[in-house]
Amino acid sequence: MEEYRIELTVNDEKIIGTTKAEESLLKFLRRNGFTEVKCGCEKGECGACTVILDKKAIKSCITLALRADHKEVWTVKGMEKLELGRKLQESFVNHGAIQCGFCTPGMILTAKDYMDKNPLPDREEIKKAISGNLCRCTGYKKIVDAIYDVALENQRS
Amino acid sequence: MSEFKYISPKTKEEALEILQEKKSDACIVAGCSNVLPNIKNKKINPKLLVDIINIEQLKGIYRKEDKIFLGPLTTINELLYSEIIFKEYHVLTQAAEQFADPLVRNNATIGGNLVTASPAADMAVPLLALGALIKIESVRQKREVKLKEFFLGPGKTVLQDDEMIVGIEFEQSDINKNGCFIKIGQRKAMAISIASVAVNLEVRQNKINQIRIAAGSVALMPIRLAVIEEFLESKEINNQLIEEAISKVSEEVNPISDIRASEEYRRYISGILFKRAFKKLTD
Repeated sequence: MEEYRIELTVNDEKIIGTTKAEESLLKFLRRNGFTEVKCGCEKGECGACTVILDKKAIKSCITLALRADHKEVWTVKGMEKLELGRKLQESFVNHGAIQCGFCTPGMILTAKDYMDKNPLPDREEIKKAISGNLCRCTGYKKIVDAIYDVALENQRS
Repeated sequence: MSEFKYISPKTKEEALEILQEKKSDACIVAGCSNVLPNIKNKKINPKLLVDIINIEQLKGIYRKEDKIFLGPLTTINELLYSEIIFKEYHVLTQAAEQFADPLVRNNATIGGNLVTASPAADMAVPLLALGALIKIESVRQKREVKLKEFFLGPGKTVLQDDEMIVGIEFEQSDINKNGCFIKIGQRKAMAISIASVAVNLEVRQNKINQIRIAAGSVALMPIRLAVIEEFLESKEINNQLIEEAISKVSEEVNPISDIRASEEYRRYISGILFKRAFKKLTD
């Protein structure tokens, strides 16, 4: 089986690894210890595997690992290194926007990527922004509340 | 399980050479939305993944005299946020807005959506209404095909094993400026459409000067409704005409019953979607 060497940064730290042509970025990351990236549907529908690749939130289960070669990847664990990421994490906790927690990494990364581009979204815009991430516990209200609170905080500062 | 290889050509010419040599053993990867699920479900079994993401020649949205040219690697989000598309080809912006979800739109490409040739392809419907032309190349030849002649059936197009879409083109014109796309699905995001309709219309003195009507999920492939288009041309717009047109749309579509909706419902809703789009363009 042919193997390919890839080099990337994950949460600002350099990673060198080998992958196969048809391996997903999700599988590659989990194999290399980044198990905070969750495996849900594996067909690009649920958003549990969301990561930020090359400054865009994407579904890592349908993305080739080879696409991350020489690119920058962020997972939820790296969010504490970034101001907006940290604010979102804290707001999710404060609002109890978590029940089983399986969708949370993806939700936070999608919200982070969206708010980098639109720091002051209203509730409707937030709902649209997270429409590719499924949550089967919370009914989304607390998640939207948590993200909206960060938007309000951005507005104040 | 077969052994997969990966190659990422930097130029169009390089990619075409690879296709020429490998033919059906090669699978082009563009937006990467379908390739991995298809491999997993054993729907495809390529030996070589040809990742074209790094080919700059296949990207971008350009104005060329009185035409607009889209590189096939243009992502759905690039279309959605393009000012020129918003101003001149609003029907495409409307479809991009409803395409899958924001994460998928970051990667999914317009060329990939066409090549997948789903009967429900959301971007094919507005492009049909814009009268789009598909530019195709192989090492052997260059050719152009009207989008309405591009699809042959579910998952089937006129593309040969060694060919690739290298561009999508449509005219800058009054009719292309005035368009409306409406899709009905089971939810607002990640919904495969139950039916979708796009109408582009040019009216002169309350008469229909030119009209293009396209529909998705109501036939084996995204289609133009040529019979009703011909019926409407040069007619004066009034309520009676619209009522007649609704029932003709329901007759002309050719849907099936499936997990998402019945044939009867699809016929009915196609007429309604046409009415809504038409009224939006004429009110």
